Amino acid sequence: MLPRVFVAESIPFSDVWKSTLSLRKGNLYLIEAASGGGKSSLCSYIYGARTDYEGRLLFDGEDAAGIKIDRWQLLRRESLAYLPQELSLFPELTAMQNIELKNSLTGFAEKGRIEEWLHILGIDSRRDYPVGRMSVGQQQRVGLIRAICQPFDFILLDEPVSHLDEENNRKAARMIVEEATRQGAAIISTSVGNPLLMEGEVIKLKL
Amino acid sequence: MISRLLRKNTSPARIAGFLLSNFIGLAIIVGGLQFYEDASSLFTSDDSFVKSDFLVVNKRVTSADTWQKGATSFTPEETSELRSQPWVRDVGEFSSADYRVMASVDQGGRGMSTLLFFESIPDGFVDAGGGAWSFREGEETVPLIISKDYLTLYNFGFANSAGLPQMSESIMSGIPLRLTLTSEDGSRRKVMQGRVVGYSNRLNTILVPRSFMEWSNRELGSGKASLPSRLIVDVSSPGDVAIKDYLEAHNLEVAGDKRGSSASYLLKVIVGIVLAVGIVITLLSFFILLLSMSLLMEKNRDKLHSLLMLGCPVKDVAAPYIRIVVVASGVAWLCAVACGEALRASYIRPLEGLGAESGGWWLGPAVGLLLTVVMTVVNVASVRRKVVASFR
Repeated sequence: MLPRVFVAESIPFSDVWKSTLSLRKGNLYLIEAASGGGKSSLCSYIYGARTDYEGRLLFDGEDAAGIKIDRWQLLRRESLAYLPQELSLFPELTAMQNIELKNSLTGFAEKGRIEEWLHILGIDSRRDYPVGRMSVGQQQRVGLIRAICQPFDFILLDEPVSHLDEENNRKAARMIVEEATRQGAAIISTSVGNPLLMEGEVIKLKL
Repeated sequence: MISRLLRKNTSPARIAGFLLSNFIGLAIIVGGLQFYEDASSLFTSDDSFVKSDFLVVNKRVTSADTWQKGATSFTPEETSELRSQPWVRDVGEFSSADYRVMASVDQGGRGMSTLLFFESIPDGFVDAGGGAWSFREGEETVPLIISKDYLTLYNFGFANSAGLPQMSESIMSGIPLRLTLTSEDGSRRKVMQGRVVGYSNRLNTILVPRSFMEWSNRELGSGKASLPSRLIVDVSSPGDVAIKDYLEAHNLEVAGDKRGSSASYLLKVIVGIVLAVGIVITLLSFFILLLSMSLLMEKNRDKLHSLLMLGCPVKDVAAPYIRIVVVASGVAWLCAVACGEALRASYIRPLEGLGAESGGWWLGPAVGLLLTVVMTVVNVASVRRKVVASFR
């Protein structure tokens, strides 16, 4: 696989581009790259949000290019979780409303569970604040909780902790890994220097 | 929550603009169609035997023609020239009886008799239905269609002054007429029964089936072929100016009630114009809604995209907009139907006073509903397409 913009360029060695890569459930992946290396592109390709690549992307052998919009929407509710780098939160809604909007689609997490996650990440006091008035770090934590309010086989996290301190980074990592492990799912996290500090056997990939 | 997010940027003014213009357009269509349904009976319902598309044409009688037999007849050349006009669908010739007819009625012991005449036109021009309009050799009864004016003349001109009872159409039809047919030289004679099967406003004659005419002329006529002096013409549009010009140029006149057909034509034209205006306004309102939904969705494009990124089903994302389209269109249609009904209530009494029979009430609302449904379907499809377009 290769993003089309890279086709004419000569790119340095990569574990992903111009090679065959297999991502499996249950593993923890950390994808590291310099800025502009195509991390967000990779996440978007896997999530079906973009198709500007050469090569093929297969889900259990099925070519992603053939998946129709309604099927993508189903995959996004039941198999693929994603926290985009730009978060895509609704600024006029409160933290809780943002999370509940997602949770109402999946009916996944109970209210107490969500409260617990807010508490773990230290934003329970901000639950009724409009997201637009929160700091980016706080918004990232809201986004992380929203991302795990669903069943998933893979969770894509695009620079999820770029604005978090190390302590909050660890808390977030622990929370995500715990949820992924519980579901037997894989974590695919990207970073340009501030990686999600996941404990356990982390497979590092260079982009 | 989704609909609260997506309704942001909704412009009540634009929706109101759509509502108002769609309402006006639909109200014009609904009202116009209803009025046409109600008013058209004024011009069309009075003659079931001869359609309004048929014109009866004869030559103008001038004083020079008075003693000149055959001056007002149509030669075969004249007939075929008329037949070749573009607005003519068919031409039928009137043929008249070549013998004398005496009709007598026995009414409560008082006999009454009068000289009559018969004419016939090709059966294709007569729409009596049910096989009533036929005659076969050997039958004793002849069906007749007489001019409604004759009955009026009898009821209000003759019966009053002669102390005779007035008769309705149905009573008249029940009375057997004794017809005595005598050849010109008085040598041959036949007695038959006549029965009135219909009345016409448009034919100033006493009509018998063509088959009877052929048979009786063979039996009683002098054998001289005579040229027709009247023609019945099936025209494609009775109000056409070309018809008037042609008739004037050839010194012909149209018999019977031609006012009715031109008024009915005029009504059609006016209703057509009104409907066209209504349709244009409705179409414009449709584009107002289409554009304001597009604009609204364009403004909310990021939100649409974000919702799809969360995995919202397309139909859930489209639902708030579809609801606006359906509710606004439905309200406009309901208001238009109510307005049409109110309009109808205001004109129906005077119109019925003029003798109109109120037509079906459903045509206007049904056409309005059809338009509304078509426009809504297109709008809904456009909303869905717009949602799908914000997927990537």
